[in-house]
Amino acid sequence: MTTLPAPGRGLSGDARSLDDLAARLTDRFGDVTTDLAHGELTVHVAPEQLVAVLTFCRDDEELGCELLADLSGVHWPAGDHVVDRQPSTTGWPEYRIARDEGVIEVLYILRSVSRNHWLRISVGTPDDEPRLPSVTGVYETANFHEREVYDFFGVVFDGHPDLTRILMPDDWLGHPHRKDYPLGGVDIPYKHEKFIPPPDERDLREVVD
Amino acid sequence: MAIDPHASPSSRTDPTLAAMKAGFDDDLFVEGADWETVVDAVEDETLTVNMGPQHPSTHGVLRLVLELDGETVTHLRPIVGYLHTGIEKNAEFRTWVQGTTFFTRMDYLAPLFNEAAFSLGVEKLLGIEVPERAQAVRVILMEFNRIASHLVWLATGGMELGSTTVMEFGFREREHILDLFESQSGLRMNHAYIRPGGIAQDTTDDFEARCEALLTLLTERLYDYEDLLTKNPIWNHRLRDVGHITAERCYALGVTGPLLRAAGVPWDLRKAEPYCGYEQYDFEVPTETAGDCYARFLVRLEEMRQSMRIIRQALDTLPGGPVMVADKRIAWPSQQSLGTDGIGNDPAYIRHIMGESMEALINHFKLVTQGFTVPAGQVYSPVESPRGELGYAITSAGTNKPYRVHVREPSFVNLQAANEMTRDHLVADVIVVVASLDPVMGGVDR
Repeated sequence: MTTLPAPGRGLSGDARSLDDLAARLTDRFGDVTTDLAHGELTVHVAPEQLVAVLTFCRDDEELGCELLADLSGVHWPAGDHVVDRQPSTTGWPEYRIARDEGVIEVLYILRSVSRNHWLRISVGTPDDEPRLPSVTGVYETANFHEREVYDFFGVVFDGHPDLTRILMPDDWLGHPHRKDYPLGGVDIPYKHEKFIPPPDERDLREVVD
Repeated sequence: MAIDPHASPSSRTDPTLAAMKAGFDDDLFVEGADWETVVDAVEDETLTVNMGPQHPSTHGVLRLVLELDGETVTHLRPIVGYLHTGIEKNAEFRTWVQGTTFFTRMDYLAPLFNEAAFSLGVEKLLGIEVPERAQAVRVILMEFNRIASHLVWLATGGMELGSTTVMEFGFREREHILDLFESQSGLRMNHAYIRPGGIAQDTTDDFEARCEALLTLLTERLYDYEDLLTKNPIWNHRLRDVGHITAERCYALGVTGPLLRAAGVPWDLRKAEPYCGYEQYDFEVPTETAGDCYARFLVRLEEMRQSMRIIRQALDTLPGGPVMVADKRIAWPSQQSLGTDGIGNDPAYIRHIMGESMEALINHFKLVTQGFTVPAGQVYSPVESPRGELGYAITSAGTNKPYRVHVREPSFVNLQAANEMTRDHLVADVIVVVASLDPVMGGVDR
């Protein structure tokens, strides 16, 4: 990055309106779609455009997003997805999501300190073989974030310098934030007087295939 | 041959060792010998040392793998996850209000910021406006929390440099602030006091008097820290020109908060994107240009002063009125006040639901167990926590529980800068740098 915002400019309030930002991105990349909700701008891009869009957001004079503030994943599984345990008052949540194919949505929050605005980039990848280009070449801070998304959702970021688990143990099986990750597979000790193996001796391979 | 009992064990003299070694590659074994011969034997002279996960200066369970050339650090790799408790996953199985009791436990030195950021996000999704009094109380308590957090940073940072006096000072004053929190929420830490829609219960009658007394005390005591440390030669020698980072590198590494301000950028979300009515208060964003550990110390010290300025103004203009939204689909119908047992009570209401109206009891039961539903959508709600931008990326699928909550934790992100800040520094400086990053492992690992 060559330009450093002058101290104080972030507070001067010369912010662009979100409509202007959306127009700027759609002008440059014809096939991105934008939506405004809750006063937040979301830009939906295709995986192959991702690095180009983020580079543009960082280097463009109008957008000027110096910071990648956040990077997170959301899993939207396929089918009329209802988790079918205790859909009553407490306990398992009840979602009604009808989708043809399962998607892992990865969200990038880009923030401009010099212009004082932020926008969200949303990119989807199929959940059976999630794979996205790494943006560590554009924003170094994506390193930890992408490791976290890999750890929790299994998204493989091509070009990441060191894609390993970060919060879960190295030998953990499965990606626990996916909605299809098996939960409740371990018996509750006070039921049926069964012997429950200690956590490090449980075989998760039966439930995570 | 007689075996010399004082000689280092060696396979040349020890038959047991020789037997162990048989059949293995020689490189796998290091036997007792002079350091020079050991060093000569390996081409790469750097030494890999594990610092932590249990080390008094790592603020919890942080493991730092250091590559050392002599006593100089050439590479530092932070390894995290030892405190991972799956709070984000847990929250997907709890109602929106119950979520606050989980998130407050992440960054345990700044619990109110976690509650506030989450609540602000839920309120954004619900499209509700929180009453003014609730906002002002949030601001007062959050700023006290910022001071408490910085005091722990000062206390632990000082102790790691050998200054037990600073440790005593920091924790002593922090305890007074925690007493205030306890008097209002019932708990010293992990309050779950700020909730979607407002705050759990109104403040006690002596709230303002307590705050005033605390402000007087802290104003006086802050001078003590300044007198003790600012010109202290040891403090200066240890902190100045250590752990340098520029504003450009802060941007690239996503570093925010006091670290970015110490590098010269007056970036503060309270000014940039005011929430909870911060735009009404007059305060400054302290900056330094040096970008080293000493600059961060000065920034944090001044931030405590500015926080007191905000509290003073908020106390002077503290409005009356409700502390929870009027919408009965969100707020509990009881008007609780804190009892002597530290639990919120509302005797009149309890009499009503237990003795007079079955419907009111059912309504209350449903609201507490089932909670309210939040319209589907995605929001990102950032606040300026003592460590930088604390953001909650919340996804709702239109149910009574979050579909996914991701937390942008400043400690987690800032830790990436540790490698760069310690390069070519001595091992002793690693401790100073990690202290100046002020990571809270509960927040890093979530």
